[in-house]
Amino acid sequence: MSLLSNTAVLLGKELRTEFRSRELLTTTVVFILVVLILFSFAISPTSEESREFGPGLLWLAILFAASLMLQPCFLREQHNDTLSSLRLAVGDPFSIFLAKLSANTLFLLVTEILMLPLFAIFYNVPILPELHYLLLVLFLGSLGISIAGTALSAISAQARMRELLLPLLLLPLLTPILVVSATVSVSLLDRQPIVQWKGIAFLAAFDVVFLTALWLFGEYLLEE
Amino acid sequence: MKNLDSVFAAYLIGWGVFFLFYLTVARRTSAVRAELERLKNQLPKAK
Amino acid sequence: MTKRIILAAVAILLVIASAYASFFIAPTERTMGVIQRIFYFHVASAWAGFTAFFLCFIGNLLYVWRRKQQYDWLGVSGAEVGLAFTTVVLITGPIWAHPVWGIWWTWDARLTSTFVLWLLYVSYLLLRTLVEEPDRRALLSSLFGIFAFIDVPLVSGAIRWWRTQHPQPVIMGGQGSGLDPTMKAVFFFSAFAMHVFMAFLLVERYALERMQTEADFLAREVEAQ
Repeated sequence: MSLLSNTAVLLGKELRTEFRSRELLTTTVVFILVVLILFSFAISPTSEESREFGPGLLWLAILFAASLMLQPCFLREQHNDTLSSLRLAVGDPFSIFLAKLSANTLFLLVTEILMLPLFAIFYNVPILPELHYLLLVLFLGSLGISIAGTALSAISAQARMRELLLPLLLLPLLTPILVVSATVSVSLLDRQPIVQWKGIAFLAAFDVVFLTALWLFGEYLLEE
Repeated sequence: MKNLDSVFAAYLIGWGVFFLFYLTVARRTSAVRAELERLKNQLPKAK
Repeated sequence: MTKRIILAAVAILLVIASAYASFFIAPTERTMGVIQRIFYFHVASAWAGFTAFFLCFIGNLLYVWRRKQQYDWLGVSGAEVGLAFTTVVLITGPIWAHPVWGIWWTWDARLTSTFVLWLLYVSYLLLRTLVEEPDRRALLSSLFGIFAFIDVPLVSGAIRWWRTQHPQPVIMGGQGSGLDPTMKAVFFFSAFAMHVFMAFLLVERYALERMQTEADFLAREVEAQ
């Protein structure tokens, strides 16, 4: 199928660009780390409190980091003026979005996996017992962030003050993700862990809804 | 008749907001209308 | 022009009548007392505001599909008018909550999702100020408006199911079910009046946007000469 093969080629390009310099990944990891440490200074939680609030803070840090990380997504193409040739080369512009959002999901997941052990140590939260569910929540949440974020970074790249604009557009839109993934993570990291399947299904639904919207309206986002 | 003051406050502030909004629309409208007049006068002269 | 004056007159008369009805015709609520009379203003504004946002969404969809600037005018007017109404909702809500619950703000599901809705449309208008070129501005803001609108049910679902730790406030829960028939009639009349008032503001705002576009066009003409 040409959509998938196009996507795969473009994804390979995205990954090569990133892993050559690893700029995005390093900056994001350091950013999340800084935010997590600053949070614990700001509220200095007891170990009970960090179980209760830690996951929410982690998700907030991920959200902020993502809104910075998604910035160069379309900007880079604009600087190098490659977007129009890219559009000509691939028939379906949706594959551009698919490639970019898969790359962004992957980058977010990598940073999250690097961050998790540090989070567990700093906030004194044992993550190992329910790790596979936690990874599932992280994956679905990051996918949702990347879908909405890739779409909006195509918008903000064409506006003035784009660095400030993207977080302003993106963060209110991601409220459902923050609310649900934080709550699901809290109950996973509880002393008596509960898997909230309803929340996990909600996250999946968010991803599907926004992916459909992107599929329907994505080509207009790239109009010259 | 407890809390009657709150009810009045709500109505007053609420309608105040609507009035302010209408005022901004009206002011912008008159500014654009003046601008439009100015431009229309400028255009035939230039031709 | 005369049509707009008639609409304004009708809107103002209806609004005054609904204020009269909610103070003098509707019976005083037994448990909450007089404060419940805010309900006719607060909830009616909320409904009218959601209708305005819905019209904005329709304008956004039609713009992306048909590319007529009229649809963009509808989008921006709906967003601004809806924002005015939700601002009123967000102000009257705490004024109601304070005597009833003893606190100004609670992270109650409806209040919170209205707040997020308000934020989304503030971002929509902000985005519009940051794109110079008119066609581009119309397209980009329409697309963002579509994303924002489909986000609304997700926001309210997420907040309702996961954020409300305490039970639903009794007042809102009673709406529709145990509402006295006179109260119901007054409420629907108020909602109707607020919708007419909303239509009046929308028409005014739309006319402004049309004139603005005309002025921008003429300004370019003048500059070209």
